[in-house]
Amino acid sequence: MKEFKNEDIILDVKELQTYFKTDAGILKAVDGVSFQVHRGETIGLVGESGCGKSVTNLSIMRLVPSPPGKIVGGEVLYEGEDILKLSEKELRNIRGNKISMIFQDPMSSLNPFLKISTQMIETITLHQKVSKQEAREKAIKMLGEVGIPSPEKRIDQYPHQFSGGMRQRVMIAMALSCNAEVLIADEPTTALDVTIQAQILELIGKMNEKFNTAVILITHDLGVVAGMCDNVCVMYAGKIVEKAPTDKLFKEPLHPYTEGLIASVPKLEDKGKKEKLFSIEGQPPNVIDLPPCCPFHPRCHKDIDVCHKCYPPTKQIDPDHSVSCWLYASEEEIAEALKEIK
Amino acid sequence: MFSKKKKNVTTNEFNQIVEGTSLTKEAWKRLKKNKMAILGLIVVIIYALIAICADMFPLYPYDEVVTEHQHLKPSFSKTSGELMLEKKMQDLYYNAWKQGRLVVGEENDAMIKNWIANDKTNKVWSYLLEAGEAQRAAGAFEWSKSDLSAIEKVEDKIQNDVMVTINGLYKNVNGKNTNLKKLNYNEIADIYASMLGLDRAVLDTSVEKELKMALVNEIKSKDSEISTEDATAQAEIDFANFSEKDFETKAKANVYGKIETQVKRDALKTVKANLKENPSQTFPYEEHQELSYGISADILATKTHDRRYYLGTDYLGRDMLSRIVYGSRVSIGIGLVGTITSILIGILVGSLAGYIGGRVDYYLMRFVDVMYGLPYMLLVIIMMAIFDRSIINLFIALALISWLTIARMVRGQIMSLKNQEYVEAARSMGASTARIITRHMIPNSLSIIIVYSTIRIPNFIMQESFLSFLGLGVQAPYASWGSLIGDAVSSMTLYPWKLIYPSLTMVIFLFAMNFLGDGLRDAFDPQSKNQL
Amino acid sequence: MSKYIIKRLIGMIPTLLVIVTLSFFIVRIAPGGPFDGERALPEVIKRNIEAKYHMDEPLIQQYGRYLFDVLRGDLGPSYKYKDHDVNSLIFNSLPNSIILGCMAMAVALVFGISLGITAALKQNTVLDYVPMALAALGLSIPLFVVGPLLQYIFAMQLKILPTSGWFMDGETTFATAVLPVVSLSFAYYADVARLTRSSMLETLRSDYIRTAKAKGMKQSTIIFKHAMKGAMLPIVSYLGPAFAGIITGSIVVEQVFRVPGLGKFFVQSSFNRDYTLIVGVVIVYSTILVIMNFLVDIVYSLLDPRITYK
Repeated sequence: MKEFKNEDIILDVKELQTYFKTDAGILKAVDGVSFQVHRGETIGLVGESGCGKSVTNLSIMRLVPSPPGKIVGGEVLYEGEDILKLSEKELRNIRGNKISMIFQDPMSSLNPFLKISTQMIETITLHQKVSKQEAREKAIKMLGEVGIPSPEKRIDQYPHQFSGGMRQRVMIAMALSCNAEVLIADEPTTALDVTIQAQILELIGKMNEKFNTAVILITHDLGVVAGMCDNVCVMYAGKIVEKAPTDKLFKEPLHPYTEGLIASVPKLEDKGKKEKLFSIEGQPPNVIDLPPCCPFHPRCHKDIDVCHKCYPPTKQIDPDHSVSCWLYASEEEIAEALKEIK
Repeated sequence: MFSKKKKNVTTNEFNQIVEGTSLTKEAWKRLKKNKMAILGLIVVIIYALIAICADMFPLYPYDEVVTEHQHLKPSFSKTSGELMLEKKMQDLYYNAWKQGRLVVGEENDAMIKNWIANDKTNKVWSYLLEAGEAQRAAGAFEWSKSDLSAIEKVEDKIQNDVMVTINGLYKNVNGKNTNLKKLNYNEIADIYASMLGLDRAVLDTSVEKELKMALVNEIKSKDSEISTEDATAQAEIDFANFSEKDFETKAKANVYGKIETQVKRDALKTVKANLKENPSQTFPYEEHQELSYGISADILATKTHDRRYYLGTDYLGRDMLSRIVYGSRVSIGIGLVGTITSILIGILVGSLAGYIGGRVDYYLMRFVDVMYGLPYMLLVIIMMAIFDRSIINLFIALALISWLTIARMVRGQIMSLKNQEYVEAARSMGASTARIITRHMIPNSLSIIIVYSTIRIPNFIMQESFLSFLGLGVQAPYASWGSLIGDAVSSMTLYPWKLIYPSLTMVIFLFAMNFLGDGLRDAFDPQSKNQL
Repeated sequence: MSKYIIKRLIGMIPTLLVIVTLSFFIVRIAPGGPFDGERALPEVIKRNIEAKYHMDEPLIQQYGRYLFDVLRGDLGPSYKYKDHDVNSLIFNSLPNSIILGCMAMAVALVFGISLGITAALKQNTVLDYVPMALAALGLSIPLFVVGPLLQYIFAMQLKILPTSGWFMDGETTFATAVLPVVSLSFAYYADVARLTRSSMLETLRSDYIRTAKAKGMKQSTIIFKHAMKGAMLPIVSYLGPAFAGIITGSIVVEQVFRVPGLGKFFVQSSFNRDYTLIVGVVIVYSTILVIMNFLVDIVYSLLDPRITYK
């Protein structure tokens, strides 16, 4: 278990809000998300599809397609500087250089019309003062680093000549070719076969250790989180509902949603038992025009009256463990919240 | 999970209304948001209504030639008589200017000469008319004697030229009017014989002869190489093979036409005589005239030069408005029916290739490929140039070549649908082939076909107009947008209205159609905006 | 690749054969012959002429003879232009048509692509609306309206451009080319601009453009290096049909602006039933078209590395 100090914070996301304008109304994809990333840390962002994980990270890079999307509030501090306020040029200097990203679908994320060499060399020469030849050597070295056999030959091939897993390796090599300090991995294994998934995750872990790169790992797979992450944020309907070190979260989940998520992972020791696998009923809500309430209450088996009327405050249970749930609020707080509504 | 709270309104646990929508409903919703597409739809509907109801509008017949009215300019305020007079006066002023009787000053002379040198005849005419009228009012210019008589002649014509339209012919039997159209040949022939004081037998032979002549002409127009003797012989055979009914209708139409011409002539005489007696008679008027030989007629008497041409006339004095309206009918009709035909062929070939697959598919698609490589418009041009230029032929030529794309599309759609999970699911549940085709394949291909056909129609219309423009399409007296524009091009400096109005009509329709097509495509298939 | 090229070249043969055969028989099965027109010729003279052109032979023999001549590159004598053979008629007029068509295509591509890209980048601004409105207009105005209309406005009213003529023909100026080229290219400008815009927008939404952005690339580099190739693919596949359209369109343009090209001959010879000339022109047009389609496929495969030809 790694320990992280406050001065090691490299990325500080504060109250981030990203809304999308749709025909049906304003879609609050990310609604007040805060978390911190330390140097060398691997942080997991977990939640069902559509809960705003990806949008959070696109917002960090200011890559939200606009229109219809817009970052309406909050701060993203990279080494104390707000990325959201940077000029286009300063922003480009961070993208791909300090913060890199790999995407869910390696099939479509590489430009099919350009050779791998072109795509990698342009990234390196863009951010580093090196000659083309040096950049090429570095690219070949990186490809070898991520486990691509005979990289000096394969570098001159086109993406369609690589398999899915290989392409994701290329993406990782490309993302890390400029010694990025933060790597955002947006469901890097979802589109891959299970065996390849493990390899890619292992590779990301290895890179994290080798280059001391902080990793934000977005996933809906709790198993992945358990194996890789130091800290975990659980997201639901555009908000972080629970934040804790991985071990703690798995040992004593506080939020009923986290509980449900963990319970719904099949465990080997349960094999042969007659009980059905736990599953959270229902679907995540449509976040357009959501009334003020805990968005999880319809699916929650512990819901109380106030859950239907007010969003719960965030409670710091431990210094490193926080949760947003009425179950952990005091009687007075609940009474006050109910009073306010009336 | 979902509970019904109110009647017919489903809400979820957050009281958000949950609505189930179908693909078409969604598409319609999207279409309604696209203002240009809706505007296009409205325009298309208006055009369609006008084309369908053309007969109900008080239009002059599109093929009615009034020689004196050739190339009258469009006017809302002036009657054709006034325009004729104006034209005559322009002519006279021009002559006067040329002869030096109308003096406009040196500067203006130079200007007029410059116009003439630059083919701006219209400007010369309107300028001289204005200048001449002003001078005449001021007393600086006077008509010559020959001028005056020319003007008087025109004015006289305007005053006295009348036209008669027959709206119905009746036979009086015991004070009861029977429409002649309801009588049979025998009865009509009797009437006509008595009108002319002819013997029935003579009439019958002459009718027979005329029918045979018509047959000969018909045969000759179909086959220009046949000799007259052969054609006559063929006509004899055809005539002998006429059924009773054929003969009855043809002979009746022949004699009816003759009676109508005769009655028209007589009625015109009466109307003219009336006008002479009573010059203040207002026109137009309708009348039930009793004629001799026991016939009466509903007639409509109009003054020829009281007509108004809102969009001008063409080189034969035909009303442009009417020609454009009927031309629209032809153009839109060909576009619509042609598209439907080509789509039916395309669906047939495409679904055959797609559903059967294998060798059938291979050969059909190779055939389509080869056809694609053909400069097919050239072949159509050749066909239209050498074969009989009837609307039907035009139609066949165009429909034959335009099914290729739709066949490819339908094939692709069917192939992908065949392997679609839900179709497999249906099949695994034991649905019959017929059910799969009618319940899954057709409904799912329909939207793409509808969208494609909307995009096709303007294309089809353009092709038809293109051929008509070259003189290879619709033939006179019929009109289509293309032929109207084709007729106008050579004389567009003198008579720009002949070019402008048909062009405008056509462009507005194509515009509307294109916007509608785009809108429909985006509505049905918001993802792929990439297709042409 | 070279194997594919050879295969494609061989594949052209059936298409051309179909074209020759179709046009040969269409013109001959139609009623009426080339010598019917004028006065009725005495039977003997008519026989003589027909014998001279081998028209007294059975159709299939004529076809064989013609095919053999075509293979040798001889398109035969013209029936109506008595002193010329089809080869010389085509040879004299074809360059004009080719230059006209190529200029129109070039204008359409240059304006269509550049304005289409601008429209895609400046979506929902004036730079988007104006070119797109123009394109919508181009899509709805048929060529035979654009031509006369431009002629009316620029040549007859404003007098800034010549009404008709052709710059390669005698001492007339290059200005004669402006109106024919603009009219002919308008519709294709419209298609190219719309296609470019939509495919550019689609490409810019794609994942690999997001990747390029995430790498910190400049907008201009992203567009020209990363998006261009993908966005141009639909344009390239559109070129084939566009060439066919330009060939048909040139017939109208050559008629309206009196350009001494192949198109004028084509319509005239169809009316005249000048068999050899019709079929000759169709063969030339089709060959151009087939070669163009072939080139388009080659360019496509060069642009898209995913396509492999065997």
